[in-house]
Amino acid sequence: MNKYALFLGCTTPTKVPQYELASRWVCKYFGIELIDIKDFICCGINQVNLSIEAGLLMASMNLALAEAKELDILTLCAACTGALAEAIERLKDDTTKNRVNEKLGEFGLEYKGRTKVKHISRVLYEDVGIERIKEEVKKDLSGFCVAPHYGCHYLKPKSAFEGFEEPDNPRSLHQLISAIGAQPVNYEALDLCCGGKVFPVSEDLADSLVQKKLDSLKNKRIDAMVLQCQTCYLMYSDRQKEINKKSGKQYNLPIILYPQLLGVALGADPVKNLGFNLHTVSVDKVLEKIA
Amino acid sequence: MNKKKETAMFKQPVSSSDFDRNFRSEVMKHPDASGLSACFGCGTCTAGCPIHEVFPEYDPRKLAKMVKLGMRKQVLSSPYIWYCATCHNCEQHCPQNVKFFNVLNVLKNMAAKEGYAPSCWIQQTEQVAKTGIVFSTEEKWVKKREELLLPSLKLEGKDAKKIIEFGGVNKIKLKVNFE
Repeated sequence: MNKYALFLGCTTPTKVPQYELASRWVCKYFGIELIDIKDFICCGINQVNLSIEAGLLMASMNLALAEAKELDILTLCAACTGALAEAIERLKDDTTKNRVNEKLGEFGLEYKGRTKVKHISRVLYEDVGIERIKEEVKKDLSGFCVAPHYGCHYLKPKSAFEGFEEPDNPRSLHQLISAIGAQPVNYEALDLCCGGKVFPVSEDLADSLVQKKLDSLKNKRIDAMVLQCQTCYLMYSDRQKEINKKSGKQYNLPIILYPQLLGVALGADPVKNLGFNLHTVSVDKVLEKIA
Repeated sequence: MNKKKETAMFKQPVSSSDFDRNFRSEVMKHPDASGLSACFGCGTCTAGCPIHEVFPEYDPRKLAKMVKLGMRKQVLSSPYIWYCATCHNCEQHCPQNVKFFNVLNVLKNMAAKEGYAPSCWIQQTEQVAKTGIVFSTEEKWVKKREELLLPSLKLEGKDAKKIIEFGGVNKIKLKVNFE
């Protein structure tokens, strides 16, 4: 059985608990044991803005906490994945590692370089595998068309992910969607960033990116956008509502997280196990079609 | 965000006599920005930048050139350096392997030290020092977690505060009227 330290991050447990709920459910289904480490702190990705060193120290502290329990980390947030993976890459340099460990020593911690980080989708893709997922599908999702959205930090910087994906032509989420019988739809703005990391600085810029993506999907025959990061989720879901108000347009695109869709395919209860009742943009049409 | 004001700021000519000749090496001596020396200004970064697409005034190539020329004050006091969406597209396609995302972070760190930074990042860091995460404890979501039978969060910032201080963030003092 696989065992991981669950890295919740900041936003999923507080703002998007349905992602956590569904993720815990699908992991349990596939026998992936998730260990909660209460001492985990923010991954540090935004602190990099003010101090690259502070961001690195925060990420390293989390890595060391998991390593103390001899666990790899399973992330839900794309940005946490990127921040932790990038820290691992930096810590391969002994000078950096020694400098960081000197500080971690003050907390009784050390990072030796053993703990790795994997996003939940990568765990499903690599550890569980497409074939096993296919075998377990209980619900027919054929005809359910979705636009995949990967999340920048799930793929980049490429050097931090040991060749897991080709960022210009990512496949894992497409394949995870196909594995459960739904149809991933390609679209021009597939790699367009959600703007989540610029949102605190400029709502206007962030909303422009969101609207651009929504526009590119407007004439596509899709039932929902499927994504794998709670920040991307909040941008396309909660900001979608705001953009509707600001622009007078009506984008009614349901936004769901991959573990929710996977859970439906595996026969989970959409409300009790997957939190489909917690969405800001209505997912009623999605449920009508697939649940 | 006042786009018009910023546009005006960038259109003011700066005399080459005002350039700071040391700025370039000051930036590039940081390992995260050393790669910038290989930049030949092709603009592939700008071509792939989603922010540039919706707000053309934001231009990574222009910022790189300004650093190389020594436009210290204009770069560090510019709100533009904070507009990066962190998508990594610029470095993904750079023919010279310049990690402009990292270069920008070096610039942001330098700017913050001189008191130029959006207050949102300072506030967020202060929050992390209190709860360990970027949000405060709110009854609404604490209750929701209980209802959903999700484990409670520790929400303790002691270690986070200390590690942030090791990174020097607590020393940043903002100048008024930035933004």
